[in-house]
Amino acid sequence: MTIIHHHPDISTLMSYAAGSLSDSMSLVISCHLEHCSDCRQRRASAESLGSSLVEECSPVSMSTGARDDILQMLNIQPHQSSAAPIPKPPKHGEVPSALQRLLGHAEFDQLEWKTLAPGMKQVALPSAEGKLKLLKIAPGTCLPSHGHSGTELTLVLKGSYTDECGRFQAGDLEDLDPDTKHQPVADTHEACICLIATDAPLKFEGLVPRLLQPFFGL
Amino acid sequence: MSDALIKTDNTKFEPGTGQSPGQSSAQMASNLVDLARYRSRSQFLVIYDFFAPRLKSYLIMRGAESSLAEELVQEAMLSVWRRCDSFDPEKATASTWIFTIARNLWIDHLRKFKPDRLSSLDCYEDISEPVETEFTDSHKLKQLIKNLPCQQAQLIHQVYFSGKTHREIADEMAIPLGSVKSGLRLAFEKLRKQLGGNQ
Repeated sequence: MTIIHHHPDISTLMSYAAGSLSDSMSLVISCHLEHCSDCRQRRASAESLGSSLVEECSPVSMSTGARDDILQMLNIQPHQSSAAPIPKPPKHGEVPSALQRLLGHAEFDQLEWKTLAPGMKQVALPSAEGKLKLLKIAPGTCLPSHGHSGTELTLVLKGSYTDECGRFQAGDLEDLDPDTKHQPVADTHEACICLIATDAPLKFEGLVPRLLQPFFGL
Repeated sequence: MSDALIKTDNTKFEPGTGQSPGQSSAQMASNLVDLARYRSRSQFLVIYDFFAPRLKSYLIMRGAESSLAEELVQEAMLSVWRRCDSFDPEKATASTWIFTIARNLWIDHLRKFKPDRLSSLDCYEDISEPVETEFTDSHKLKQLIKNLPCQQAQLIHQVYFSGKTHREIADEMAIPLGSVKSGLRLAFEKLRKQLGGNQ
């Protein structure tokens, strides 16, 4: 396993732990956590903060029959029922297990990649909040420079890219500030595959990339 | 009668009653472990009486109507009963474990309105890790949050209770998105330094 150099901001992990991140971003974080034990620990801290806050909530009494009702429910539902979460199939191939269901258990080369621009292909993924997509950047291809009016989370799944913030390899996550502009370039002989979640349209610089925006759908 | 019990229990944890929340946290963890072992209903009720009214309060803040909140609390507590054998006190406090159950139920409830929404099973892999910093002393945490700059305290509240994204919080508080992120970052670091257990 490669060493991970780039992690989500703690403010992102707090929202994730709180259940307040958009679903598309939560999925990207979940895929990063599979690789990153440091962030699993940070997530646990953020969850522990949340639970302490809940402990300090002013309690709201349950209605009169609730306690008897729950005892009844315990009677009906035997222990060791089917309530336990279904174990995920073991991870195989290059796809993070959190992503396998969404991809219908296909590998990256079995997906229908749509060409966006020379050297750039994407697979749009279903999510209810924000945009979620896989992006494949051919070796040496440079994306148009762009900023963000919102947040963008980019997780490298395969290959690597370099931008103004550094070099990003498999497992690395770039949690871009809204003020940062970047221009990623796939920097090895191998295509770079990223999982990207955005919550607002990207801001491209220059006329041509702006005209491309509808095609990116970002 | 059950109401009376709940009220008695609540007062136990009010500030200034002498019961340290640290002890109660350890006690709750051992209650959960024992629950898995002995399947005792009275032990379950001790856990229920403490957590149910707090989870109800939490879910109402997240936006649930009182009756829905109660329904989800019952579901969460039933999960506690059924799944307590998977609770590992090395990896989480009882309170954190129960909080994540309620959070996931709430996330999955939201899918009723947005069927495309990804489920908690997609977004929250059960890959636990020993916690880096434990915020176990909830009384002290409450005090420390009161001492934070007002905006930082508000940000924490917004993230954990209002369910809003950073962008939505920025719009509502009329501050830049970057300030939401940096405010949360500063608040977390401060609380971690002042309160963090295992460092």
